Parts: sequence; structure tokens; C-alpha cells
Amino acid sequence: MPANSLLNTLNATPLFAVGLTLTAFLLGNLVFKRLKKPTWLPAILIAALLLAATLAVIGLPYERYRDDARWLTILLGPATVALGMPLYQQLPHIRALWRPLTVCLPIAASLAACYAVMIAWLLGSSPLILASIAAKSVTAPIAIGITEQIGGSVALLLGALLVTGVATAAFTGIAARLLQIEDDRIIGFALGLNGHAIGTVRAFEISPAAGAFASLGMSLTGIFTALLLPLAWHLIGVGS
Amino acid sequence: MPALVGFLWLISYWLIGEVVIHFTGLPISSGVVGMLLLSITLAFHGRVPGSIAAAAQPLIALLAMLIMPGVVGVFFIVDELAGQWPAILCALVLGTLLSVATTLWLLKRLMGKQHAR
Repeated sequence: MPANSLLNTLNATPLFAVGLTLTAFLLGNLVFKRLKKPTWLPAILIAALLLAATLAVIGLPYERYRDDARWLTILLGPATVALGMPLYQQLPHIRALWRPLTVCLPIAASLAACYAVMIAWLLGSSPLILASIAAKSVTAPIAIGITEQIGGSVALLLGALLVTGVATAAFTGIAARLLQIEDDRIIGFALGLNGHAIGTVRAFEISPAAGAFASLGMSLTGIFTALLLPLAWHLIGVGS
Repeated sequence: MPALVGFLWLISYWLIGEVVIHFTGLPISSGVVGMLLLSITLAFHGRVPGSIAAAAQPLIALLAMLIMPGVVGVFFIVDELAGQWPAILCALVLGTLLSVATTLWLLKRLMGKQHAR
């Protein structure tokens, strides 16, 4: 079939998968802006839906696409290292509020993982699922590393990150009102700690101060969870 | 060429992370080790060199694109985990609701104390 041989020709080079990814990413952002940036539908979800539909239509197996797209995803390593720059820029905030933050962070970041894992465990989820959702509040590049360490599914983790980010962006405003919290720094920190990058984007819409504290919450949660979750996982032996 | 110099720094820190993990056996990803080493270096240096910023900023802006090939994978495991989704969604949404409320409440108590002092 001519259509099939055309696909095979294009497929011979990983550049096809790279091109598909760039196209879906740019289109996803375009649609997101046209829809006036809805909180419940992040640009990356639109892009991923477009890409998944395209793969299904042209009949390119996902595993094949993922292997070719490795030319892009290899950059996740240096991109994770790059997060050290915003972390350094957050240092003044950490110094100013180190006392409440050192108490709050370990408790809140642990609970962010524990609540979800406990509920899933009570509902009878398999060890693979527990390992895949444990890093649900951690920013994606760090969370992927954690999930690989504890033997979860990266695909399920990324889905869990989307759900968590959207839920955090939706709940935090309501919860803050119920608890009568008006301090943007507290709201921002909660958004970043629980909702990683999606929560941080939401925080920047509230105010620059909320955004700065969301970035801080996101970075610290990422580091704390990356350092302790794999260790805790092995000690408790959840996966075995 | 500053971006290229910065990129080489980022790759070097990642590779140092690999070496650290190889010798210590720590269950952490090399990206996180590299990130911590980079921020410690910057703290000693006292500012962000132009080359690092030139490489780091575009990479951070592209993070969403770099995780996309992985995100797409979730649509291809829908059948694999059939019947498990209600539990997964319940854990994620309810767990997030609880942890957002806990974080807000906890930080309000802690920051309130600090202001009172």
C-alpha cells in the first residue's frame, strides 16, 4: 500500500517522531490560548491528546514512537539539572522563612504522597499502581527519576501528575477561603507543594509573590521527595 | 556560544551525578544530584553566570515538551489497567484534596506563630 510505504519511509528516521512531538506541542499551546487558558485543561493534556490521536490514526505503535522520541527526552537529564538555577534564586525566601518552612515541608510533602498511596492501598490497588502514584506531587522531571527508582510505571505517573495538578489548582482557592487564609505566600506554597508545575502556573496568575512561593514549594518538595521516598519505599518494602 | 558552554555545564553536572550515584549507591536520580550540586555551586559563586542562564532558561521552558512522549503513554495503558481507574482517580483527587487542606492549615498555624513572636 502506498500510504503504508510512505509511513515506513518517514519512520526510518527518528526525526519523524521528533517532528510529531514538536507539532503537537505547538498546536496544543495554540488551542490552549484560543480557549483562554482553562485551568482544568492544561496545554500539555491537549497536546498529548492530539499526539495520541495522531499515533492511533497513522498506526505508529507507541513503543516505536517513544524509542524515536528519545532524541528529545534525553534532554530531560540536563533540564532537571537546570532546575538548580531557580532553586538558587529562591534562597532569599528560604532564609526569610526557614523556621515555618522546615517544619511544614517534611510533614506536608510526606502527606502529599502518603494520603494518595494509603487511599489507593485501602481500595486494593496493586504495588505497581502504588509505586506509580507515590510521586504525584513532584515536578515531572524529578518524579520520573523517583518512579523509575521505585519501579512504577512512568506513563501512569505522568497521568497522575496531570490529575493532581489540575485538582490542586481547582481546590486550593476554595480551601483557602474556607480556612480564611488571605496570605498569598501560604496559598502559593500550597499550590507549588501539591500541584508542582501546574499549581505553580496557577499561583503566578494570583500574584508574583504567590508564584515565587509556589516555585519554592515545588523545588523543595521535589528535593525532599527525591531524597527520601525511594529510601522509605525500600525500607517499608511496599513494592515487594 | 554562551548557551553551548552552559549546556556543557549542565551535562557535566548530570554526569557527575551519575558518578556520585555509581559510587554511593544512593537511590536518587542523577538529575537531582546534579541539580543540588548546581545550586550549591551557584550559592558559592554568589550569582548565576550568563552561560548557565542562557542554557537553563530555554531548557526549563521546554520541560513540558520533553515529558510529552511519556504523557502520551498514559492513553496506551488505559486498557491494561481496566477496572483500576476508579481507585486510582479516587486516590489522586481525594488525596490531593486532603493534602492541600493540610498544607494550608499547617502553614497558617506555623506562620501565624512566627508573626506573633
